[in-house]
Amino acid sequence: MNTILTIESLKKTYGKAPSQTTALDGVSFKVEEGEFLGIMGSSGSGKSTLLNCIATVISPDSGRIILRDSCITDMKGNELAGYRGNEIGYLFQNFELIDNLTGRENILLPLALHEVSDSESEERLEKLAEYLEVADILDQFPSQMSGGEKQRIAAARALVMNPEIVLADEPTGALDSKNAKALLEKLTGLNAEEKTTILMVTHDPAAASYCSRILFIQDGALVHELRRDVPAESRKAFYERILQVVAQMGGGSSHVL
Amino acid sequence: MFSDLVARNSRRSRRENGLFFASLLVSIVSFYMLLSLSGQDVMRFLQKMESGAVTRLLALIPVMYVWTLAILFFLIYFAERFQLERRRHEFGVYRVLGMKKKDLFRMLMAEDLRTSGLALLIGLPLALLLAELVSLLTVRLTGIGILGHQISFSLPAVLFTAVGFLGIKLLASLILSGKIVREEIGSLLSEVPEGTKKQLPGPVYALSLVVGIVLLAVAYYFAISGEAWMYISTMALVLASGTAGTVLLFFGLRFFIDKLARASYKKNQLQVFNFRQVEETVIHRSGTLAICSLLILAALCCFGAGLGIIAERKAETHALDYTFDIYGETSEETKQMLEETRTKLKKGGLDSLFADLFVVRTGYVRTTEDWDNAVRMEKLQEALGQQPDSDDKKIVQNRLEYANFPYLIAQDGYNHVLRNAGLPELSLGSKEVAVYMDPEYASPGVVALLEKLLPENRELTIDGISYLFTDQVQTVSMVTDRSLTLSFALILPDEAFDFFTKGREDLYMSGVLSEEAKEGKSLMQAIMETNEKLDALGLSYESYLQNMGRELFFTVAASYLTIYLAIIFLVVANTIIGVQFLMTQQKAQRRYRTLVSLGAGYETLCRAAGNQINWFFGLPIAVAAISSVFGLRSLFSGILSSSLTGRISEMMWIGGAVVALLVVVELIYMLAVKRASNRYLLGLMAPKREE
Repeated sequence: MNTILTIESLKKTYGKAPSQTTALDGVSFKVEEGEFLGIMGSSGSGKSTLLNCIATVISPDSGRIILRDSCITDMKGNELAGYRGNEIGYLFQNFELIDNLTGRENILLPLALHEVSDSESEERLEKLAEYLEVADILDQFPSQMSGGEKQRIAAARALVMNPEIVLADEPTGALDSKNAKALLEKLTGLNAEEKTTILMVTHDPAAASYCSRILFIQDGALVHELRRDVPAESRKAFYERILQVVAQMGGGSSHVL
Repeated sequence: MFSDLVARNSRRSRRENGLFFASLLVSIVSFYMLLSLSGQDVMRFLQKMESGAVTRLLALIPVMYVWTLAILFFLIYFAERFQLERRRHEFGVYRVLGMKKKDLFRMLMAEDLRTSGLALLIGLPLALLLAELVSLLTVRLTGIGILGHQISFSLPAVLFTAVGFLGIKLLASLILSGKIVREEIGSLLSEVPEGTKKQLPGPVYALSLVVGIVLLAVAYYFAISGEAWMYISTMALVLASGTAGTVLLFFGLRFFIDKLARASYKKNQLQVFNFRQVEETVIHRSGTLAICSLLILAALCCFGAGLGIIAERKAETHALDYTFDIYGETSEETKQMLEETRTKLKKGGLDSLFADLFVVRTGYVRTTEDWDNAVRMEKLQEALGQQPDSDDKKIVQNRLEYANFPYLIAQDGYNHVLRNAGLPELSLGSKEVAVYMDPEYASPGVVALLEKLLPENRELTIDGISYLFTDQVQTVSMVTDRSLTLSFALILPDEAFDFFTKGREDLYMSGVLSEEAKEGKSLMQAIMETNEKLDALGLSYESYLQNMGRELFFTVAASYLTIYLAIIFLVVANTIIGVQFLMTQQKAQRRYRTLVSLGAGYETLCRAAGNQINWFFGLPIAVAAISSVFGLRSLFSGILSSSLTGRISEMMWIGGAVVALLVVVELIYMLAVKRASNRYLLGLMAPKREE
């Protein structure tokens, strides 16, 4: 399998000495093509900083992020803009749909931004809309959609450019369990059928159980890794293992002292 | 600590919102310009000539002042609301940290006072300077030369400016700060999305659009057909249907923009987003946009009318400086008076002041009692009747109907007038007469029509004796007094004049100042000095200046006020549109952040915002510009004399000036708003820390 994303000793601190907070303390890992990778950690563990660094929303103090063959930590301005939404798709916890654009307009937005030809985009839109079951609501405005529908529209928008990797930041955080399950199943399906690489940040073990591999982060460093033995291991069994690790981390030695 | 905070906040407000501060400066300048009107050179000059009229005009100023107060209050209120809206979160934080409502209110008022004070500090000197410039410029434009230019500084004007400005500013702040302070902390801290407005079904908007266009078309039709000016009721109807049409048009416009947005999926970049943003404003603020559009229309009409009034003034030839009143009950008495005036002038040593002092003689046909047939010109009248119908034809027919007992003018005196105007003199044959029409009545169309007919229809009889018309119509005023006008008269050779008038004549002694009298002075100065000398001799006279004064008064008063209003309207409308855009942009902050995360670069966002700004300004301006074409035409035909409407080049010039004003003002505003928007977008590009 090819490596799609390489993170090399990423460091990021906030504030100035002496009141410095280390958010990332030399994080390194690789994401393989077609992988559904989860990153779990409690609040303040540094998982959002990590995601924001990969998303190019913030820049790390040191270390490198390499997507395919290009080092995105060295990119600036327009180069970065071309990379966002194009090479990387985003799925946000609160959807971030633009509320005065229809579903269709929201999905087509990245295509317009990156100047993709019409026929290509139409085809892609049709396919995604059908798969994500949003074909009927394409001409509605976000205010007329349910939370689940909004997130599926957002998923279509994240996928429409056929990105190298999809970054999902707590994508089920604002959904009820039924809608959350539906969305995760769709994502898993895309991952399996289309070989879409997904990197999902979550603190929900149930959501994480859909992943094929999970990295646990604590105090800015990776502390554990779980791999699901697909297809031998059931999702339920994987979920149990995740719960164990979470419990260990929560009640681990670092908190007992 | 508190005063530091106030100072810092006030400084930041000015830096972040230049548009707001600029609108404050504009308010101050416009107050002062209005209030210092009486100190302007032209007004001081006019006060000497036409004190009654000027006093009446100056009595109007308080009314204008209050009117301006109201309009500028609207402007300041709007701009300040925007200013405070963008700081809501900050106020929420102050309150969370324990600032009392009372203290927040105090802080806001203190900030406001500081900003206002600074605006006055910068605005007042600016206003003084501008008033001086305008004073000098109007003097130059009106051609009255500089009569000991006086600084137009006026203390009462400064005081009233400060009081008026602080008054409306304080009132706006009181209302707005009061509102902010009363709000719950939670609502201050949370982002307030634009409330979703109830949407009506699509056909309602389409219908509104159609009805709006129909109403506008009705207003346009009545405006240019001239029917608007017939009765007050038709004028009211035109204004009402125009206003309602504009409001409905903007209300229905979302139908059109929605179609545009849906049609532009396939276009590049952020076109759909732009149209949706514009659509949202059209939905939420169609009323404000309509008002802005109407304000711009009012500005364009005022400006055009002001220029039209100025252009109308330039039409006449200046030939004479003075005309003395010589009027006796009988011819003998009149002749005696003429002699007396001449002697007085000579005795007073004033005759040397005049380069030319001459008498224009006028009278009636006295050789017959049959006044209805004293003069006959059937052939000309017939030829006129065969001409295609036109306004000019009606005017000439009307003049000729009363031409059977016309005024007669002696050639010799009139030639003096022509010589002084630098025109070729008349040399009439013994059986020739020339047509004279006062410049007031002689529009280019009328003159052209007569001069077309005259060569073919020369024959006329005066008391049964045959004469022939010359080809040209004479239109140089024969006296300085413009209130004395002849709509149709005949210029006769002196012998014929003497024969027909039988010595019963009216005399107008006119004069032109000599080079000596004018040496080293402006004409205005020379005439004013001569006036003093003539007054001392107890002579009664009309001077070019008095007449010019009368006319100038109307020109200056009307054009000054109309142009003043035009600028205020334009500033208010544009500031509101600009502020409206920035406000909408700020409320759409989240959307812009999403766009950034989807890969929109800074340049892309700036271009998108730039496009939106073009639309925001373009919509109301386009509607106003189209309406103004009809509005101006209607205004010109309604308030200006027919002599101007015939002068196509002048009209083009005015139209061009109106367009130029609009383009310059809009470019400045759009540039300012684009800069503010770009600055704001740059702030959004900075990453938001989420952990």
